[in-house]
Amino acid sequence: MPPLAGQHAHDPADTEASLLARAQAGDVSAFERLSGQYADRLFMLLLRLLGDRDEAADVAQEVMLRAWQGIARFRGQSSYFTWLYRIAVNEANRALEKRGRRPAGVPIGADELQLPTSPADDPSRQAENSELRRALGRALAELPLPLRTAIVLRDVEGFSTQEAAEIAGVSQAAFKSRLHQARLRVRAAIGDETLISTGG
Amino acid sequence: MGVPGRADDHQWSQQHLSHYVEGDLRPRARRRLDRHARDCVDCGRGIRAMRALVHAVHGLAGLAGVRVPATIFDRVRPAGAGGSPSSQNA
Repeated sequence: MPPLAGQHAHDPADTEASLLARAQAGDVSAFERLSGQYADRLFMLLLRLLGDRDEAADVAQEVMLRAWQGIARFRGQSSYFTWLYRIAVNEANRALEKRGRRPAGVPIGADELQLPTSPADDPSRQAENSELRRALGRALAELPLPLRTAIVLRDVEGFSTQEAAEIAGVSQAAFKSRLHQARLRVRAAIGDETLISTGG
Repeated sequence: MGVPGRADDHQWSQQHLSHYVEGDLRPRARRRLDRHARDCVDCGRGIRAMRALVHAVHGLAGLAGVRVPATIFDRVRPAGAGGSPSSQNA
């Protein structure tokens, strides 16, 4: 992942372990380098969960503040990235509870994200993919946050069940149950024929 | 529709298509769904649809054009100026 705009080039000696040690000792710059490498992906997760760019940006700031405040207690039981993601999911939950509403828009940036396409795809095929993308966005937006979190972590982000359950803060059995419910609902919302003709 | 006389298998299979695609079914349960889907048009289509769904959702994983705002560390910097995070409350 490329560095954030304005970041200095990474020193090759700055391994994740050394950045973590320095951040835990109070080095903000090390914390920013450590966390900055995951910032785009984390922001995308929040955008998917919250469906609102401004809110995602606000929550992303809160995630970084919480991570900074808690980093001294991070003991490496999970990867740093997993730990950061778990804070993000918690903060997204908190934000939605506080506002008492569903995601504001289409949680998966419909125009920013592309389904895999082939250069050989004709315009009608591309239009079908676009429509499927929008339909997926709508269907995911309708899911309750726990189900949306499950499908985003497992199917969009590609985490293993174990990692995704850890990030979601539930047992693997509970996570699988949420994932399967989420898929059944999205499948029902989109329809088998549409999925088979354009999704596969 | 399901296979006549096996409505319980049909309902059960429809509820477990995601488990099937995920590889979460035990061998005996997988064989049960395989047996049923062999003769059930709906469930055969359901398996294809569920696989297509997972593929399509995974295809949303791109990051094209999405960049976190440069302000992401704005709240950390004032907090960081206070010293070690170990002295602060999470």
